[in-house]
This record gives sequence, structure tokens and C-alpha cells, in this order.
Amino acid sequence: MNIYAMNSLAVLVSCGLLSACGQDEPAAPTLSFEEALQLQLIEAEPGDIIQIPAGIHAMTRSLSLNVPGITIRGEGIDTSILSFRNQLQGAEGLLVSADDFVLEDLAIEDTVGDALKINESTNITIRNVRTEWTSGALTNNGAYGIYPVQSSNILIDGAVAIGASDAGIYVGQSTQIIVRNSRAEYNVAGIEIENSTFADVHNNVAVNNTGGILVFDLPNLPVQGGRNTRVFDNQIGNNNTANFAPQGNIVGTVPAGTGLMVLANDNIEIFGNTFENNATTHVIIVSYFITERPFDDPQYDPFPESIFIHDNQFSGGGSSPDSEPLKALQAATGQAIPDVVWDGILVPGTLPQQVLCLADNGDASFVNLDAGNGFATPTFDKSVHACSLPKLSVITLSSAVK
Amino acid sequence: MISICLRWIAVGAALSCLLAACSDPAPVFHPDQNPQRLSAWNLFSLSDSELIPSQASLVFLPANQLFTDYAQKLRTLWIPAGSQAQLVDGEIDFPVGTVLSKTFYYPTDAEGNLLQRDETAEQSINLQHSKLIETRLLVRRETGWDAFPYVWNEDATEAFLRVAGTSTAISLKSDTGDLDFVYFVPNENQCAGCHVTSHPDGGLHPLGAIASQLNWKNPKFYTDDLEIQTEMFVARGWLNRAPIKLEPVSWGDSEADIEERALSYLNIHCGHCHNPEGAADTSSLILDGSHSQLINMGVCKTPVAAGGGSGDRLYSIVPGAPEQSILLYRMQSVEPDEMMPELGRSLVHSEGIALISDWISQLPGSCL
Repeated sequence: MNIYAMNSLAVLVSCGLLSACGQDEPAAPTLSFEEALQLQLIEAEPGDIIQIPAGIHAMTRSLSLNVPGITIRGEGIDTSILSFRNQLQGAEGLLVSADDFVLEDLAIEDTVGDALKINESTNITIRNVRTEWTSGALTNNGAYGIYPVQSSNILIDGAVAIGASDAGIYVGQSTQIIVRNSRAEYNVAGIEIENSTFADVHNNVAVNNTGGILVFDLPNLPVQGGRNTRVFDNQIGNNNTANFAPQGNIVGTVPAGTGLMVLANDNIEIFGNTFENNATTHVIIVSYFITERPFDDPQYDPFPESIFIHDNQFSGGGSSPDSEPLKALQAATGQAIPDVVWDGILVPGTLPQQVLCLADNGDASFVNLDAGNGFATPTFDKSVHACSLPKLSVITLSSAVK
Repeated sequence: MISICLRWIAVGAALSCLLAACSDPAPVFHPDQNPQRLSAWNLFSLSDSELIPSQASLVFLPANQLFTDYAQKLRTLWIPAGSQAQLVDGEIDFPVGTVLSKTFYYPTDAEGNLLQRDETAEQSINLQHSKLIETRLLVRRETGWDAFPYVWNEDATEAFLRVAGTSTAISLKSDTGDLDFVYFVPNENQCAGCHVTSHPDGGLHPLGAIASQLNWKNPKFYTDDLEIQTEMFVARGWLNRAPIKLEPVSWGDSEADIEERALSYLNIHCGHCHNPEGAADTSSLILDGSHSQLINMGVCKTPVAAGGGSGDRLYSIVPGAPEQSILLYRMQSVEPDEMMPELGRSLVHSEGIALISDWISQLPGSCL
């Protein structure tokens, strides 16, 4: 109101303002729910809680937040729904570039691109949030459900991610990460930790994806050297959905039926998980060379090292591999693909047990594919890998993570 | 002129004071209030027939212009009296109080249809033959630059601050038929999405009013001896000295080298995010000209998080094969999750696509 009054006053003095020589000031516009919500996100002050009421709220444009210290809170994971089914603009549903952020108790559905992207932020909590493409596993679904990148101190707790054409929960180029108590289903990758360090992924359910959990390190990225991830107490089963990623994307190379894949990461501890009926194999440890993609990056370490797999339970699986070398292996042996598969490619001069140790996995079976020699002489002797590695530390997030 | 206006007020005329005829007061800098009405900035005089920038402002034209759905743009710069921009490390550091404006509009025909035209770079807007869409401001305050999107009302009598942006359906007549699309006015975060060029820094910066884009002769506006725009700023006392950089190559300059044109195009359209500290550094695709490694410019580079934006293609740029290059696919797409740039357009930019396609076609090598 003050602005209006000032305008009028100024007009009387100078007549220089373009709007208001006459009595009929042009009327100000009114805002839609969507515009009002975006306005709230822009004008928020640190410490504010922005409430998303119950109901299905139709969005046509990306929402975004750049203000630190904000909580966005709905009334429930199936109650407060931001629906982007009719989205016209923006590559995300919600784009956050803000520290000390909490998102909880709501759903983001049917975005054209990523559902929730968090870029270069610190102290992030995603709690009881669902990201879903509701028409099923389709190639034209958005790439990522929950997608923090170049961020640190990230807690993803009680999330549900369904239908992403790349990864349901994808943490990239980040550090200090906990993903727990979450469910990832019908994505290409259920949960993916990529080019990241110091992550705990535990007590999650990763089922019916193409690959359940992926721990990757890729070349030619500004943040690499992926290492120190613990994957434990997860339920990883029936990840047999046909790969529906668009071509060109690295997850497009993941065979359907993969439980857990570790690519070119170091210091990974895998324990206490239950693997069931992953039709290619339950656990596969590979170097970047297996992708057959060229790379030119002297900083990059393409080899996995210090992978410790212990105290897991395996059942079923390996019966229908979605990979040419593994199909050939199955044909040659007449057996299901073993529970743990290693490509056998290692840093020249190092020993197999420096790559992989297996302990207390019941009667889990194993194969070294000898991929470096064109899969010439696969070996099944797991005694080579009967060793143990120091346990990795528990991840403790900054106390600023709420 | 003033007397005309006073007479109108004196008789209490209600409808439309001929504001253009009132006076030409200098623009007003608002150091911390965000006026809801564009008129509060006093950047223009407005009548039924014409929008004219204040004589205290300077209309300018960057050497390279961003494509925005074929909208025409009128750009103004104003620096308060007694203030001066400084050249620091070759870049223009504008003083507090600087106001940059960019008004987006379309030419219209006699029936009021909106028309697709090449950028005409007028110094005022004839409202009999144009429709005003929005005016965006970048204002240099004590705390840094702030961005404000103002949207014109239907009668073109006022523009209102729309912090959350808005959208409007547009049908544009072109030589090849009607172009129907939704024109998006960015919200303030989306303004930052392009104008925050460095994430660690976090502040907004001008993209067109920078030394490398202003340090050229602007044949469309000025013919006197002070043709280089930065020298005009110096002559006005607005800038302490002109940059010594060479004139930038304009992507639209068909006489120039195709690689320089292509890199200029990618810089202005992509470099604000795709730079070593920008929002898109996560992809390692660096298009602001600061990276000399071919893979970082996209040659034989596999996508990182492109999703469907890869268009089922394997590499950002395949030398000699634009039809296999993700970069071109994303320029040709109008799907929100695939298109590049992500913001600022709903239509494809055929002229830009032709340029980048020609450039990729003549690149030597292969990705196998």
C-alpha cells in the first residue's frame, strides 16, 4: 500500500511516472496457487517453514529455492502431492540450491525431467518424500527422482522413488551421505552413489529395478575418486526390470537382473544384505574397462580396489543373465551365474585379494570372468579371496543436518 | 511540454495523460524497495504510440544476443549522475545505482498479429506496431545485482513486478507459418539460474553488459566517431577507461570465421551455466570458451546426467556428424527436460541450429 501511495504522490509532483497521470491506475494482476507458492519460495527468510497443504497441486513450471535454512513440509507422502503431469517448463520439479534444507512429507509426481535436484548445497534432509512417475517404467520418464549433486552432509531417510529412467535415488559428486529406510522400485537404477565419498546406504529396499544399487566412479567429471561407501542391511531383490534408460547414458549399460554393481570404486564394504532372485547376478564388481567406453583422463582410477563383501545372504538369481559374456558363461557351465561376479581386471602388479575379499557369505558362489583376456578362462575358486579388510567407519553427518 | 501535462492535471483528466509529453525526468534508483510498478523506476516515457527510454539512459546492443523466441529487445543502461563504472581486470564493475533494462516485445501487423522478425535493434518502441511483453531489470545495489521481471498489462499502460514470473500463449506469424508457443517470463530464481554465472560466488552478474560483449562498434545505432560502445560510456563519464580487448565476434556475422561464430554462439547461450564454476559444471561440458580440451567442449564426450536429453545419441559432439551429436539434439528439442538452454526459449532457434550444425559438420576426426 505504501508503494501505491508513494506513486500517487510522485505523480502529483513530477508527472513523470508513466502509470498514473489519470485516476484509473492499471490494476495489479492476481496470482495462481503455483505462482503464489513460487513467490513464497523466493521471498522466504531463513528459518521459514513452507507448508504444502494436502491435495494434488498441479504445477506447470519448475519450482526453485535459493534461500538457505528453509523447510518445505507437506502433510504426508501420499497426501500432499505436487503433480507435474502438465509441466510445460523447467528441467526439474523442484530445484534447490540452498544450504540447511529440509524437504519432508510430500510427493513429487510425473515431472518431465528430474523430480528433485539439489545442486551445490550443504546440510540436506530428504525425509518421507516420494518421487514417482505414475505411468510405470517408461523411457520418457525423467532421469532422476531424488538427485543431490556436488553437495555434502545429505540425509535421505524414508524416501520412496519409483519409475526414474536413470536412478530413483542418485547421489552424485557428493560427500558425507546417508541413504536409509528408503524404497526404490521400478527405476533403471534403484539407488546410485556416483563419484562420491563417505556414504552409508542401509536398511533400504531396492526391488524390481534394472539394477538395485550402483556404486560408480566415472571419468572426466569435476569430482571423482569415489570411495568409502558402506552398503549394508539392505533388501535387494528381483531387480529384473528390462533396462529402459535412453541410450548414451551409463546406466543404459547395466544388465537387467543386477543386484548390486560396484564400478571403479575403492574401499567399499558390503555386508548384512539380503539378495534374492536377481536374474543376472547379485553382486558384480567391475572396472571402467568393462564399459568399453574410451576415456582420456589421467586423474581417473578405472580400477575397483579394497572391496569387502561379508555376512550377506544370497538366494536364487543368476538364472537369466542380460549380458553377452554372462550368457556365454551360463551356456558353458550349464549353471546359474554365481552370486558374486568380478571382471578380473586389476591394477598390473597387484593381487586379486587387494581388489576383493569375501567372508562369511554362507555358500555364496563366485566367478572371476577374466574379462581382461577376452573372458578366456573364468575361474570359480573363491578361496583366493578368503580374506578380510578393515571395517569402514560409520558415517556421522554434521550436527547441522536436521 | 510540461505545461501540457499540468493542464491535463488541472482539468482532472482521467483517462490518459500523454506521459511522453510530460517531461523526461531521470530514472530513479531504489536502493532497497522493490516497486510493484515499473513506472516507479522512471526508465521510460510512455504514450499511446511510443515507449521511449529516458534521455539520461543509453540504449546499447551486445555483440551477441541470446535467442528468446524471436522477441525483439530494447536494452538500456543508466548510471546515476556522479557515479562511474571502473574497469577492473578487464571487466566493467558497475557502481551502485546502475540500472540495466531489457524490454521484450514483438512487432505486429495491421491486424495486431505478432510477427517473427530478425532482431531490429530499435532505440524506442512504436506501440502502434508492437506488443510489449515484459521488461527485466538488473539493478546494482549495495549487496550486489538484483533481478526484477516486470510484465506489461494488455493495454501497455503499466508493467507489474512478477517475482514468480508468468506465462502467456503467443502465436507468431512467420514466413513458414504460425509459431504457437507459451512464452515464459522467468521468475526471480530463474533470472538467477542464468545470471549467477559462478556458483561459489553466488551473485548475479550481467551477461550482455560486459566488456567482451560491449567492446564493439554498433552499426545499428551510432555513426559518430565514438562508435565502440565502451568508448561512449567513457565519453559520458560512466566508465573510467575502455577495455583494450579486441572486438568480439558476433555469431550472426556471416563474414566471420565459422568456428569463432560457433564458439560465440555457445558462449552466449550456454556459457553462463556451462563454465568451470557454473551450475552445469557437474556435466564437465564447458562451453564458455575457457577450456581448450576438446572433450570438455563436448567432442566425443559421453553424457553424465542427460537422461532423455541424450536423444539416444552417444556423444555431445561427433565430429562431422551433427545428426549424431547430443548438443544439436538438445538445441533442436523443445521438451523441457531435453532442451538447451533450459530456460529462455520455447521455440527452436533455426539460425543457431544451422550455425552449430555447419560447425560440427566441418570438424575433423571421429569418436571411434
